[in-house]
Amino acid sequence: MATANPVPDVTPTPVEADTCLLVLLTAMPMEQLESVLTNLTTSFAAESLLIAAAEALPKDSYPHLQFVSAPATRPSWTLTAADFVNAHQLAQKNNARAVLMLGPGADSLGLSALRDLAHAVQGNGSDLAIPCYDLPPQAGLLNSALLYPLSRALFASRVRFPLAIDLGLSMRMAERLSGVAQRLTGINQDDAPLWPIHEAVAAGYAIQEIDAGSRVMPQPSAPDLNTILPVVAGSLFADIEAKAAFWQRARQLPTARIAAAAERAALPDASADIAPMLQAFQLAYTNLQGIWSLVLPPNALLGLKRLYTTDAEAFRMPESLWARIVYDFVLAYRLRTINRGHLLGALIPLYLAWTASHINIMAAGMSSEQHVEAVAAAFEAEKPYIVSRWRWPDRFNP
Amino acid sequence: MQNALATILQPTASQAAQTLYTDNATIWNHMSDALHQSLYRVLSMLISILPGILAFFVALAVFTVIGMVLSAVLRRGLSMVKFDERMTRNRGNADWTPLTSPTALVARVSFWGCVLLGLIIGVSAFDASYATAATLPISLLPYLTHSVGAILLLIAGNLIARFLARSVLIGAVNAQLQYARFLSLGVKWLVLVLTAAMALDHLEIGGRVVELAFGILFGGIVLTLALAVGLGSRELVSRSLESHVDRTGEHSTETTAASASESIRHF
Repeated sequence: MATANPVPDVTPTPVEADTCLLVLLTAMPMEQLESVLTNLTTSFAAESLLIAAAEALPKDSYPHLQFVSAPATRPSWTLTAADFVNAHQLAQKNNARAVLMLGPGADSLGLSALRDLAHAVQGNGSDLAIPCYDLPPQAGLLNSALLYPLSRALFASRVRFPLAIDLGLSMRMAERLSGVAQRLTGINQDDAPLWPIHEAVAAGYAIQEIDAGSRVMPQPSAPDLNTILPVVAGSLFADIEAKAAFWQRARQLPTARIAAAAERAALPDASADIAPMLQAFQLAYTNLQGIWSLVLPPNALLGLKRLYTTDAEAFRMPESLWARIVYDFVLAYRLRTINRGHLLGALIPLYLAWTASHINIMAAGMSSEQHVEAVAAAFEAEKPYIVSRWRWPDRFNP
Repeated sequence: MQNALATILQPTASQAAQTLYTDNATIWNHMSDALHQSLYRVLSMLISILPGILAFFVALAVFTVIGMVLSAVLRRGLSMVKFDERMTRNRGNADWTPLTSPTALVARVSFWGCVLLGLIIGVSAFDASYATAATLPISLLPYLTHSVGAILLLIAGNLIARFLARSVLIGAVNAQLQYARFLSLGVKWLVLVLTAAMALDHLEIGGRVVELAFGILFGGIVLTLALAVGLGSRELVSRSLESHVDRTGEHSTETTAASASESIRHF
């Protein structure tokens, strides 16, 4: 993964002194914290900032900054429900006008990204500022395969990273997210991820996507796909189920943003070995057919059979097939066709098959971003399928 | 002389017929008496337990009606206080969420609770009347109650076996174990054998034979699984150890495939 250590090469344009911005720093190592504080003092007027962190901050090194202690949360690779609750409570207590939440590894976030995130929610009329990271083609694959296409097709949002770990929030957005988060913390799901885009779209709040450049993305402490994918996908499917009445209505997708990160459509930096992923898919095909047949219609099973017999070089999963598979799994999650843990476990080999296909397509010359856009477009095209099946799940489905 | 003696000693045909008739009539009378007595005993037993049977059906019917009324009241009351919406807001994405709405679930639970209560009260009334009228042994009744327990055991065992088999299958496939199906089948049969043994023990069938057979079967399956996993996962263990060595820096050489797969980031 490409890393970028931002150098303060841009002349700072401090925000107005009378605006108070609460900056919530999630759990991160001390050297990262100091680097983030340096970037913040470079980007903003010190008197407009209120820094909140659970760790003991080096207050002596930054005498102009105001600090406030935040309740300790468990270190996580993403923003959790507990972080959103803390952010709103601290902002309300200190009369902040906006909140900037920075996740682990925020020291690699560019100065302009920090400023733009804050500006968007302080004076530009946006309620949610969300960064668009510039990641290597083979990074953030779960986001490209599942989170972005589903969020775009169902919630009509072009935000590229729905599960971004740095956010700018207006007070009403922070309040709304805190309300959702409190319900999760109330049932001991402090570490559950939240879906700010879905909340903002459902509430009719303004969203602004900010080009954030490259950033070091924190990885889960146990980078085990079998553990993390069910958590993330389960949370997303549950949110989709909860907002079914909202997304079933047809909505116009906003026009595509002219992103400065168009260079993301670059060729891959290295060709990855897809053999382990294909082996995982083939093993699953021979063993999990009985479970897949409970979830997927015969047409999708036929598509998987074709994939099973395809050579590694020619391995391509059609975008429409992947879209339908995901929609069928969302539907099975809602209908509880099988145990939800089993269902999400059975999705993992199919996701690996998509990943192998994605890498093959990139190796053939198509850019990662083009393929991800094609996948998202397929999800949009297949939206009537999930709406129809959601409303009439017992209808004949070949 | 001999002929004359034979003639004297031989009974006449009419005498023989009369004796036979008398014997048959006696047997018939005995059989008839026995049948009458048996019929009398059964009928008197039925008459004595009839109030118990009636009490059983009356208790069941009354509590079913009470359950229906309670269910309807609960359904209406919970709908008025918007119970479903409150539960949906508070439940998050828990895995145990029910298929039906919480209101319907509460209503159903209350209805079936009442039916179960009626069943228990009815059975206890029947049991009381049976005990007082137990002049004849009815071995079928206790056996019937044991059969219900055994059937419930079998159903629960079957559900648990299917759940565990599916969990093991998916977990093993995602861990890329080639013998995933075999492992899953082994777990399924372990639970099924255990369930069958428990059901037979509950029915008091077989006695020590069942215990012995269960021990042999269970031990056999565990040994087979242990051997299969032990022999089959040698490569897995060695791969795991190698990757551990790689992580701790003791192993300096890295394969091309490993470095390539590291360049893929799912998150």
